[in-house]
Amino acid sequence: MNLRIFKALAVAAPLLVAAAACTDPTVAPKSTVTGANIWNDPNSYAEYMAKLYGGLVLTGQIGPNGPGGEGDISQIDEGTSEYLRLNWYLQELPTDEAVIGWNDPGVPDLNLWTWTSTNTIANAMYYRVYYQVVLANEFLRQTTASLLASRGVSTTLKTQIQQYRAEARFLRALAYWNGIDFFGGIPFVTEADPVGGPPPKEAARDSIYRYVVSELSAIKDSLPLPSAAVYGRATTMAAHMLLAELYLNAGVYTGTANYAGALTEAGTVINSGYYSLNPVFHNNFTSDNNLSPEIIFAALEDGSHTQTWGGMTFLVHAGCGGSMQASWFGMDYCWGGYRMKQQARRQFSAGDARGAFIYGRQTAIDSTTAERMRDSVAGKAKSSWTAVDSSVTDSVINIGSYNYGAAGPKFTNKTSTGGPGSQTTMIDTDFPIFRLGEAYLIYAEAAVRTNTNLATALGYFNALRQRAYGNASANIASAANMTTDTLLAERTRELLFEGKRRTDLIRFGKFTGGSYLWAWKGNTPGGAATDAHFNLYPLPANELSANPNLTQNPGY
Amino acid sequence: MRRAGFITGALLAVLCAVPLRAQQTAATVRGQVVDDATKQPIAGAQVSVAGRTALSGADGRYVISGVRAGSDTVRARRIGYAPATQAVTVLGNATVVADFSLSPQAVGLAEIVVTGYGTQSAGDITGAVSQISAEEFNTGTIATPQLLIQDKVAGVQVLDNNQPGGGLSIRIRGATSVNASSEPLYVIDGMPVGTGAGGGLSAGRDPLNFLNPNDIASITVLKDASSAAIYGANAANGVVLITTKSGSGGRHGTQIEYTTTFSSSSVTRTPQLLNATQFRAAVAANAPSKSTLLGSANTNWYDQIDRTGYGTDQNLSVTSSGDNTFYRLSLGYFDQQGIIQQSATQRLSLGFNYDQRLFNDRLDLKANVKGSRAFDTFQAGDVLGNATGMAPTQPVYDPTNATGYWDWPTNQSGPSNPVASLKRSVSQGTTWRSVGNVQAEYRLPFVANLKANVNLGYDLTQANSANFQPNNLAFQIRQNQGFLSLSNNSQTNEVVEAYLNYAAPLNFVPGNIDLTGGYSYSQSHGEYPYFQETGLPSNLLGINGISVGGASVIQNSTNIVDYKLISWFGRFNWNLNDRYLLAASVRRDGSSRFGPGNQWGTFPSVSLAWRVSEEPLLKDIRALTDLKIRASWAKTGNQAFADYQQYPTYTYSNGQAQYYFNGQYTTTIRPSAVDPAIHWETTNSYNVGLDFAFFRNRLSGSFDWYTKKTTDLIFTVPVAAGTNFSNLVTQNIGSMRNTGVELSLSAKILEAQRSGLGWTADFTIAHNANKLLTINGSNGVTQIQVGGTGSATGQTIQVLQPGYAINSFLVCQQAYQSGKPVQNTYVLPNGTTTTGCTSADWRPYKSPWPSLELGHTSSFTYSNFDFGFTLRASLGNYVYNNIAANGGSYQNITSGNVWPANIDASVLKTGFTAPQWLSDYYVQDASFLRMDNITLGYSFNVSGRRWRVYATVQNAFTITGYQGVDPTAAENGVGIDSNIYPRSRTFTGGLSVRF
Repeated sequence: MNLRIFKALAVAAPLLVAAAACTDPTVAPKSTVTGANIWNDPNSYAEYMAKLYGGLVLTGQIGPNGPGGEGDISQIDEGTSEYLRLNWYLQELPTDEAVIGWNDPGVPDLNLWTWTSTNTIANAMYYRVYYQVVLANEFLRQTTASLLASRGVSTTLKTQIQQYRAEARFLRALAYWNGIDFFGGIPFVTEADPVGGPPPKEAARDSIYRYVVSELSAIKDSLPLPSAAVYGRATTMAAHMLLAELYLNAGVYTGTANYAGALTEAGTVINSGYYSLNPVFHNNFTSDNNLSPEIIFAALEDGSHTQTWGGMTFLVHAGCGGSMQASWFGMDYCWGGYRMKQQARRQFSAGDARGAFIYGRQTAIDSTTAERMRDSVAGKAKSSWTAVDSSVTDSVINIGSYNYGAAGPKFTNKTSTGGPGSQTTMIDTDFPIFRLGEAYLIYAEAAVRTNTNLATALGYFNALRQRAYGNASANIASAANMTTDTLLAERTRELLFEGKRRTDLIRFGKFTGGSYLWAWKGNTPGGAATDAHFNLYPLPANELSANPNLTQNPGY
Repeated sequence: MRRAGFITGALLAVLCAVPLRAQQTAATVRGQVVDDATKQPIAGAQVSVAGRTALSGADGRYVISGVRAGSDTVRARRIGYAPATQAVTVLGNATVVADFSLSPQAVGLAEIVVTGYGTQSAGDITGAVSQISAEEFNTGTIATPQLLIQDKVAGVQVLDNNQPGGGLSIRIRGATSVNASSEPLYVIDGMPVGTGAGGGLSAGRDPLNFLNPNDIASITVLKDASSAAIYGANAANGVVLITTKSGSGGRHGTQIEYTTTFSSSSVTRTPQLLNATQFRAAVAANAPSKSTLLGSANTNWYDQIDRTGYGTDQNLSVTSSGDNTFYRLSLGYFDQQGIIQQSATQRLSLGFNYDQRLFNDRLDLKANVKGSRAFDTFQAGDVLGNATGMAPTQPVYDPTNATGYWDWPTNQSGPSNPVASLKRSVSQGTTWRSVGNVQAEYRLPFVANLKANVNLGYDLTQANSANFQPNNLAFQIRQNQGFLSLSNNSQTNEVVEAYLNYAAPLNFVPGNIDLTGGYSYSQSHGEYPYFQETGLPSNLLGINGISVGGASVIQNSTNIVDYKLISWFGRFNWNLNDRYLLAASVRRDGSSRFGPGNQWGTFPSVSLAWRVSEEPLLKDIRALTDLKIRASWAKTGNQAFADYQQYPTYTYSNGQAQYYFNGQYTTTIRPSAVDPAIHWETTNSYNVGLDFAFFRNRLSGSFDWYTKKTTDLIFTVPVAAGTNFSNLVTQNIGSMRNTGVELSLSAKILEAQRSGLGWTADFTIAHNANKLLTINGSNGVTQIQVGGTGSATGQTIQVLQPGYAINSFLVCQQAYQSGKPVQNTYVLPNGTTTTGCTSADWRPYKSPWPSLELGHTSSFTYSNFDFGFTLRASLGNYVYNNIAANGGSYQNITSGNVWPANIDASVLKTGFTAPQWLSDYYVQDASFLRMDNITLGYSFNVSGRRWRVYATVQNAFTITGYQGVDPTAAENGVGIDSNIYPRSRTFTGGLSVRF
């Protein structure tokens, strides 16, 4: 070889390399994991699933929230953007159950029925639904057999991932259920739609309903069976329970009722043998409620590791106010948030353990002379209540003042034995999404509406009442007494503040219209009839400008 | 070394060859052209002898080689000066020195203006450029360079947050961006120091305050895009060129200068709150049950946290100017206490400029090194908010409390004792920064008028912050049980630039050309480790120790960020008979911040100027000294956004955002939503201007009209649900426009003859209108709510909405009854009133941006006295008075679960029982007139040494209808006044002496 050429090359090569460096501005991130390499870590599959489940209670990557702007959902306060807190606002505030005096964006409009397509809460819920859907889709895309093979994933992990895939599809189904329940017809995206693709088409409410039903039917047996080891995870029974919820409301979602389906699915859950009623009702809502045999599916919270300003942290703190002591609930201080409306409060009778937590008024209460609504529930006349302040009533005359309406601190950060949670700001209590008590009520309602299995239904119905009263004294005598009105009232007592109320009222035909009025319905203190378009929340105004394929729900 | 050897060899060869062929060799004529009056060098002077011509450099020096022997006349001419000639006799192969001292005809035109990659004389400038030199700088207590030019340049808004040592931001002709930075690019002695606020990293309040203002010789603001376009993708917000003082061009010899100042600052205004008596009455009337909670004290909490702040600035410099060696060495110490206790800034700075001329001035080597240590302390925790909220009836101290300070019990939320926060918490930052460069300018042999420039620069910063709040502060008992955070951020930036410059008269067509072309490479490496722990087991260690074992929550992170910018640039200037001027430039930038396929952007500019006054027809009008019409167009970019935006990244959760999965608390991972096609924001600007001077420069000024449209504006906008990992994705979408006019006038009203009175008055007037055009591409309509107020959770008060200025307020129109606002009652556009302010009723209303800004400086001289003042007025700027909005209702004392908090005094007028956050009542006109600076000085000689003593009052007074603390400091001009740092009035006395 010509030595000069060789030498020239030896000089030129580094120069060329240097020249390339001097003309190529590309810099790849060093200290951040990117989409290009994340899946090279076998742990990432479980970590991604933790994110997907965590989407139910966590709001971002810094718990309980980042210094600003780091939340999963933007354009809303991060703490408020939590899945179950949004769900709770939308399911409870416009109904006969709850009111909140805060002026946080979007909240007053829900109290007063003045929400529009820019309502912060409804918008955030919509995006929270799709956040879950998109996360699940990405997981399904990234865990196809061929991709797993190309990454050399171990066979053990591959088996695990198969189950993860079913769980991801469950969580997507859960999100889509909330989506069609709140918003009707919505965009439809699956793992077949790539990230950054064109705006998706809108699918009709019933078509997404059918998709969700088919998904759940397809995956239910790939999901694990309930056990302490999979507490908090999507199980076969959780899938049956979600199917029961879907069938129960099929009439609303599709126009064709399917109470028989609901009866079957609820029956499957009840008869599976995995669950039993917690003998102490209240222990479903304590910081050790993970031990309750009644919970079918729950979002898991932990004061130390799973911190959020939503979920139970919100429910426990916001349920305490007035002169109530935060320490009664094992926490640092009260937020003075939601109270009961009189319509819900007055459905509780004396002796019902489910009403034992209800306080009559919020001023001048201390731990010894706690003047609780159970005094009135016990039949005492208002005049005999201790130190009656006539300015204080259980009627929500004034939303802004905590003095009006009854406090109902159903949830607590104390354990069933009165012990403390792991800390006082962040709550340990898990959020029960499905529990056996509700399965009983679904069964009872489906039986009544299909006029079948009434004796069994009556048994389930009375089981709840017997637990509430500690004896059979308040049992109802015959299945004939299980009218739709009794069923709806029983749902108030059993499921108060559990985030299902609006769906129930719609199914019973009482959410809009004038057949049932409650405080502030239709923006009047005494309640007024409302238009049927309120049965759906509006699609976000921002979404309509970003996705030209969508049509706004009527009336907005 | 090889190159230098080659050059030396070549020169020796030339010298050795000369005697042999004496009759054929040519001589060299060299020299310096200086201003007769100021003795400052004149650049760009055309010097010719025997048919050969050269232009003088920035230092005024010129070299003409190849001159044939004999007697001849050297001519020097420069626009704005009377031409001069000098007879010389040139001997073969010798070098003859011919220095010129030109007498100015119109000083303004001859002034050397620093431009990107070069200098120009003011007369040749075709764009809108303002240069402020040291004599015109603001005086007094000046911590950061930006304050030197506050009020001095039309269209340049210097926004101050009132704190000692900065937190300044500059808007040149309005904000051009929403989500990227709107700060200009700063270039210090040719070294770009990064984009974003102040350029670079800091643990203090302002990144630029590493630079000692006393070391600055001039600040040039490239306002219009055509002047700035040579900086391409960093130029959209304008460019600020800072030139530091050097030895060259000064008086021959060594000179020592010492300056010292002492200052005292006091508070001008604090929030108007209820005093103890008023507060007691309010509680008795509105929440009688809480009267028992009130203490018997009478505490003005602001009096407890503020102070008279003292400061000093000491500067010593040595300047040496020789034949070929010039240097300046400076040492500075600046120390200023803030008017809120614990807030202060200190800076120790060292500067060294060295300039060496070699090889008959062919090679000019310059080294500039600046280094400083800045130490900033802050009032830790929400001291101002707590001083606003703490009840005036409570005492400061409580001997029964373990901490010694009185505080509300912590079982309910409420304000905490600000004095306890101040005295017991620590918040501080130490910034070590050094910026320096070596520049070599070499006049190439063989090709006359061709210069090669190499610039090697660095910018190193180490910024350490520490924050500590003890675990038994009331706030910490409620929230974190103690807090410690430490960060040790560092950043290294390097720049390599090489460019060629050819400036010469043309022989075939009339006029001169000036061509520049080059390459620039810059890279940045940053490391950002951060440590935080809460739940401290003990307060003993403060910021000095980490108690990981006992802390309940620990956050650790480190982040490494690299960045590259590679550029090619070129510029062509053509000066035809000093009458027609043309400039064109282009820069091609490749940035690591642009996504694949978008890595390179091209940024061209063209500008033209016509010096009408040089036309034969007008030349004889004696009153008209100068008249120039300018027009320019340019496209510039803005890439001042975060790195790695185009990469989908995964973020791990911290230990508090885990989820119980597979039997353990599992860290979660989150994919980011990105648009890989992200790229620079583009601004297309047009500028038409007029420069004029009358009566031998007694009256001069300029007028400019501009419009600039920014497109591809980066917005984080809603994307169709289901298509990305967030409901918002950052994309190049949206556009805005800034249109404005500027007028500057300078009048020498009285010219100081010997011992007479001199008076110079400068005026600036600027109007800018900002309008957001689109924020979501073609989809239009949507609005983005911004401007969090911190009142209700997630409450915002401003909006980005097409058709309105950015950050317009989004409020309801307050209804009034007999002059008093009616609670919860608002006026709809149709004139009817409504109860409540729901989202459907919100309207964009006013904005924080002034419609008119006026500045005036008057300087008087009489005998040895000098006196000057600077006035500033701002009209049409609005501020949301968040202290009044959030704290101006009786709900502060009536609401349950919180301890009674003090109330804004506006409640006495409104009587509100609940906050009316969204009422336009709180969007208040913050127009103002402020006497920014009054200075009186006296100069005298003592045994041949020049002394000057002076006294300055900064912020002498402010006249405004705004009811809050300060109309200017609201969130750096974004218009929300939430417990801002109060403004101070500062008295400074100073002394300087030259040896």
